[in-house]
Amino acid sequence: MRFDSRAGSWPACYALLVGALLLAGCAGDPKPPPEPPVRQRAIEAETSGVARYVRGDYGTAIRLFSEAARLQQSLDDGGAAARNQLNRARAELALGQAQDTLNHASEVGDGPLLVRALLLQLQANLALGRFDPASELLAHMEKLCPYGCPERGSFLLLRARVALTDRNAKQALVDAEAALSILKGQQEERETANALRVIAAARLALGELSTALVAAQAALEIDRQLALPEKIARDWMMVGDIHHRAKRASDAKSAYQRAQSVAQAAGLEDIVRLASEAIVEKSQ
Amino acid sequence: MSILIEQDSDVALLHRGTRRFLLVGALATVLIVSAIFLRQGMFRQTASLGFVTTSALDINEGQSVKIAGFRVGSVEAVTLRADGQVEVRLEIDADYMRFVTRDAVIELRKEGLVGSAILEIIPGPDKTRLAASDSKLPFVRADTLTAMALSLRDKVMPILGDIKAITGALGDPRHGLPATLAQVRETTASLNTLLQTGNRQVEDVGQAATGVLSKAEQSLVRLDETVDTVKTRLPTLLDKTQRIVDHVEKVTADAETSVPPMLRDGGEAAAGAREIITGAKSVWPVKNWVDPPPSQKLKADSDPRAEVVREVR
Repeated sequence: MRFDSRAGSWPACYALLVGALLLAGCAGDPKPPPEPPVRQRAIEAETSGVARYVRGDYGTAIRLFSEAARLQQSLDDGGAAARNQLNRARAELALGQAQDTLNHASEVGDGPLLVRALLLQLQANLALGRFDPASELLAHMEKLCPYGCPERGSFLLLRARVALTDRNAKQALVDAEAALSILKGQQEERETANALRVIAAARLALGELSTALVAAQAALEIDRQLALPEKIARDWMMVGDIHHRAKRASDAKSAYQRAQSVAQAAGLEDIVRLASEAIVEKSQ
Repeated sequence: MSILIEQDSDVALLHRGTRRFLLVGALATVLIVSAIFLRQGMFRQTASLGFVTTSALDINEGQSVKIAGFRVGSVEAVTLRADGQVEVRLEIDADYMRFVTRDAVIELRKEGLVGSAILEIIPGPDKTRLAASDSKLPFVRADTLTAMALSLRDKVMPILGDIKAITGALGDPRHGLPATLAQVRETTASLNTLLQTGNRQVEDVGQAATGVLSKAEQSLVRLDETVDTVKTRLPTLLDKTQRIVDHVEKVTADAETSVPPMLRDGGEAAAGAREIITGAKSVWPVKNWVDPPPSQKLKADSDPRAEVVREVR
């Protein structure tokens, strides 16, 4: 038997080599299978709702979250439906519809989202000025959200706010600083600004005006970066209050005027009225 | 002996074939690697541009950068700065820097309706001053298809709502057009009765006055003639009014049947458009360009209206 080394072996090897190179070039992570149409619509509605919420278009966000919740419920995905229900409640709270928030957050029962639902109920009660139910919810949540719970920072901030309304500024400061240390390193800019604002309010109540001013200005800086007009205006109001307590009338007036101009541009009539009153009463 | 010589020549042939194969393989590999390097722009002279934005949404490393629709470079790096801003650095073919003016703007837009996101450098009006390498340019985002669709929907929905409300008001049997028509009919009947009563009274007065004053009689006769004229013309007028009213009633009835299907058609058209876009997204190769929307989560915000300021005041 004769062995012929030239007959067809090297073109085959060459083709194999090129094929292997092409396969290596085309190789990549396979795309996941597409979502079914209804679930895709639900996800799109939720994503658009989040985008609208971030932009401050809370009315449209409410509509989109409701649609997403309805679609997810139709797919028997109770968890996703509850998540959208809570998103809707949050948008309602941001729009000032605290009673609607309370109603919708109460509809979410036991489950992984219970702590978030209770946090929203707590916020809604605070917004409605119902401090007794808020205190009861706090006591209930203390067991549900111990140290290590993802919502611990928000819980501590709400506890600090309740303490502030009870004129217990020291406890409020302790809770707010604990919340800030938890939030440090997390990408939660809004909540970090909230923590700084509560710290500023607590230090203002304790008469520690210089540190209060630093905290308020830090909160203002974050809110300006996040482009949240209502918070910017209220931060300026707090800066004005701190200057007023420090008997710096011209600085206080300037801060109130900034709050007034921001609120006027954003159509926030309540804050415009508050700022106008403060300019007249506290800047003298 | 001859068998051994034949085997030696076979071995030599095999060695030669192996060398040729290895040589050709090495050459092919070098060519492919060179082509990849050339494609990746390793041998090109490049310049760097950059911009700063608040979010890296839809911006990825390797993303195309275009000028007037031509690919001129790519996104080299996307980094999150300490102040939370996102810094994006672009690598541009140095040849194309002659199109990048100092007042140029970088815009993030989609290729076509459902294409992938690209960065387009839009040169400014001042062509005399060119941007230097490593300079920072302003950045804007073009409206996405979803944003445009939502915006359009937001504008159209109130109009459809108004049309529905108007149609509903017209069709309301208690306060709408049917009730108004019923009232018109009732008023017309009352007017007829009033005219008949008036006629009778005028005739009575005429009879009573006949024997008393001839001038008054003449006047009453003239008045009677006038009333007769009115009596002959008024039914025609009332008929015309009735026809107009009937016509309006018919138009309203038609609208009641035709407008709701129009509204439904509008909804079906919107659903159809959505279906087309959804279908296009699922067809190769479009599906490879469109990533499924990521599930997003709202960031924590325990005080969305900064009410703590109000609470402590």
